Amino acid sequence: MAIDYLTCPMCGFEFERTDTLCAHGCPLGALCHLIRCPACEYEFPETPPAVSFVKRLFRRRLPTVTGLPPGVRTAAELRPGQKAKVLCLGSTVTDRHRTLTVYGLASGAEITLVQQQPACVIQIGETELALDLEIARDILVQPLDVGQETVEPEPSPA
Amino acid sequence: MPTTTEIPAAECSIVLVGNPNVGKSLLFRNLTRRYVTVSNYPGTTVELVRARASFNGFEQEVVDTPGLNDLSPRSDEARVTRGLLTDNPAATVVQIADAKNLRRALLLTLQLVELQRPMVLVLNMYDELEARGGRVDADRLSQILGIPVVVTVAPRNEGTQDLIAALARARVPDLQILHNGPPTSVDTVAGPQPQLGGAQDRLSRVNEIISETYAIDQPKGASFGIRLGFWAMHPIKGMFFLAAILLTVFWFVGLFGAGTLVDALEIAVFEQRISPVAIRATDAVLPFPHEHVVENVPYTMSLPVSPAHNVAIMELDREVIRPAYTVPADARLTLVQKLMQLLHDFFVGPFGLITMALSYAFAIVLPIVTVFFFVFSILEDSGYFARMSIMMNRVFRVMGLNGKAVLPMILGLGCVTMATMTTRILQTRKEQLVTTMLLALAVPCSAQLGVLLALMAALSPTGALVWLGLMTGILLLVGWLSARVFPGDTSDFILEIPPMRRPQIGNVLTKTATRLDWYLREVIPVFVVGTAVLFVMDRFDLLTRISVWARPLVTGWLGLPADMSNAFLVGFMRRDFGAVYILDAVTGPNPILTPHQILVAMVTITLFMPCFATLLIIAKEHGKRVAFGMVAFIFPFALFVGGLVNHVGRWLSTI
Repeated sequence: MAIDYLTCPMCGFEFERTDTLCAHGCPLGALCHLIRCPACEYEFPETPPAVSFVKRLFRRRLPTVTGLPPGVRTAAELRPGQKAKVLCLGSTVTDRHRTLTVYGLASGAEITLVQQQPACVIQIGETELALDLEIARDILVQPLDVGQETVEPEPSPA
Repeated sequence: MPTTTEIPAAECSIVLVGNPNVGKSLLFRNLTRRYVTVSNYPGTTVELVRARASFNGFEQEVVDTPGLNDLSPRSDEARVTRGLLTDNPAATVVQIADAKNLRRALLLTLQLVELQRPMVLVLNMYDELEARGGRVDADRLSQILGIPVVVTVAPRNEGTQDLIAALARARVPDLQILHNGPPTSVDTVAGPQPQLGGAQDRLSRVNEIISETYAIDQPKGASFGIRLGFWAMHPIKGMFFLAAILLTVFWFVGLFGAGTLVDALEIAVFEQRISPVAIRATDAVLPFPHEHVVENVPYTMSLPVSPAHNVAIMELDREVIRPAYTVPADARLTLVQKLMQLLHDFFVGPFGLITMALSYAFAIVLPIVTVFFFVFSILEDSGYFARMSIMMNRVFRVMGLNGKAVLPMILGLGCVTMATMTTRILQTRKEQLVTTMLLALAVPCSAQLGVLLALMAALSPTGALVWLGLMTGILLLVGWLSARVFPGDTSDFILEIPPMRRPQIGNVLTKTATRLDWYLREVIPVFVVGTAVLFVMDRFDLLTRISVWARPLVTGWLGLPADMSNAFLVGFMRRDFGAVYILDAVTGPNPILTPHQILVAMVTITLFMPCFATLLIIAKEHGKRVAFGMVAFIFPFALFVGGLVNHVGRWLSTI
């Protein structure tokens, strides 16, 4: 499972819960429900678990994967209708690699993103494949030329 | 040309192999005239199906294998297929390919080539490829692969004769074709695991073959089917689509099937015609002094508009004799007459074979199940279930499942036993167990659903909503909990989406008939035996004794009349049977249950184990321990929740 990162609403810095900047021996202790951002020291209340659960259920996309070379992004970040070339399937789950390869989704394949919600749908040739967004986030792709996109019949709004 | 070896067709059987959902089963039917369930959902065939047929003057055995994407023996399907090919070294392999999906088919072809068997490649669903502006150069493909390539359209039975002719020309392909062309030149940024090298090599070889044989024009515009397919999985439009589909199914099954059709069969056919004739016939054969009750039975044929509104079409009242009878007080029955009375009661008494078991099986269960399977087959053939899986994936994740569990869950609304068998399409044991558990606990089968809907009519709309909310809540809660109790992982959600197709009425009807046949064979003996058991227990006064024994539970905890223990007693055997018992107590001139008690009884009986057959199937699929564990959880849980509803309901009404 991925670690749940906290995001500072002031500066947008992402950090783990253990990294919050709190004074040791603060008299409020367990009664305090504020989180202090280690980057800008802004204090903000924690989202109640119920709210974050609902948010997670309906969230549009997971946080962007950072640190990728220019021109490379994850399949989940493509726009609907955008074409891309698969560079690598990511993750270390061999079983998943096999399954995806069988459907023609392997490095070198040309794919079109059909939609991201409620599940990611990727078109490879004439095969349409529905994937968990988490799987799509592991797949690294190189978006193809802007001029070539949206030749697919894609009636849904971008 | 590669060297080939001619194998005489007379000696070999024929094995159909192919990716899932490419029309193998339909082609099998075309070849052999034997029917297997065909559906537009990957993974429907889980077992080998065999049939004998005669081609080109020789009788041969044809075997249909489960759909597989990969020959490596990791999945059950691949193991089954490999085993079959090893056992039949001379068998001709007929690979069925979806012409639209040539790439995936060829990936499998190259694996099959390694086995060195006589092969034929069938490009099925060619019409759908043409509709999308695509072409495959079958001659060139045949030349490259060195095996016959045939074009077919299975639903319309086109190309079957070509295939039969090509069987005689089946050849062993040359291994050389695997390595023709330049070595692998695929980007290797990923540097995947070494064992994947084979798959990668095959993919690049397939891409070469495709570039020589496959062409597709730019589509002119999305056809209605393609647009519909997109809408059905769109985050917002898809929800409306889902709601519309569910409402239609509810109207068709819940209101039309369980209302109009059941009334017609139960009242107009059974109560007004068959029962009186059966009673008279039995009285004539087994005479003893008694007088049957004669009543006016009114029947109104009506079409449902909403759950509360009907449009009456026709009314029909008849004076008929009823199973209930009185024996004159001064009559002294001889031993023979007593025996006759016993037999009379066995056939047409209140727990009679005809008046209870058959009228229940044919008049209440049959119409609902028929309508349900009909609607289910239409949805299945249209390719909607895969899209429904996408829409429901998130919700099912909460329960430790993924969208693929939609198919068994929906089928469970038809028959839980049948659905328990299809849990095999789920990948991990955890998913199979959780789905089986939820099916057994909270998904009412259509037989029970019909009775429950009739019960709801006696309840206020609020009561019906409370029931629905409770069931959904329990489904999610128990799912969530069992996802934590059962060890193991949830598998990745990777599902191929079939195109939306117009369902073929012939397929839909055959499929409905096949499922009905299976259902009736399974259900009617249970009804007959169940009624016989009840009859015997009634004779020996066991029913009253058990209701005395169960009084603290039924009257104390559940707050129901003591009579209701009979309902739960038969509910152990089939929960819908128990529900009918409750329905009997609710309808009629003097109902013995208050709306509050109806709700309690409904909740309890819904949560019971579906039926004895389900228990047997669970034991067969997952072992005796799992089956026993589920029984040990489900019955106490059902009674616990029922009592909770009773007490909370009473408490709420006092404040």
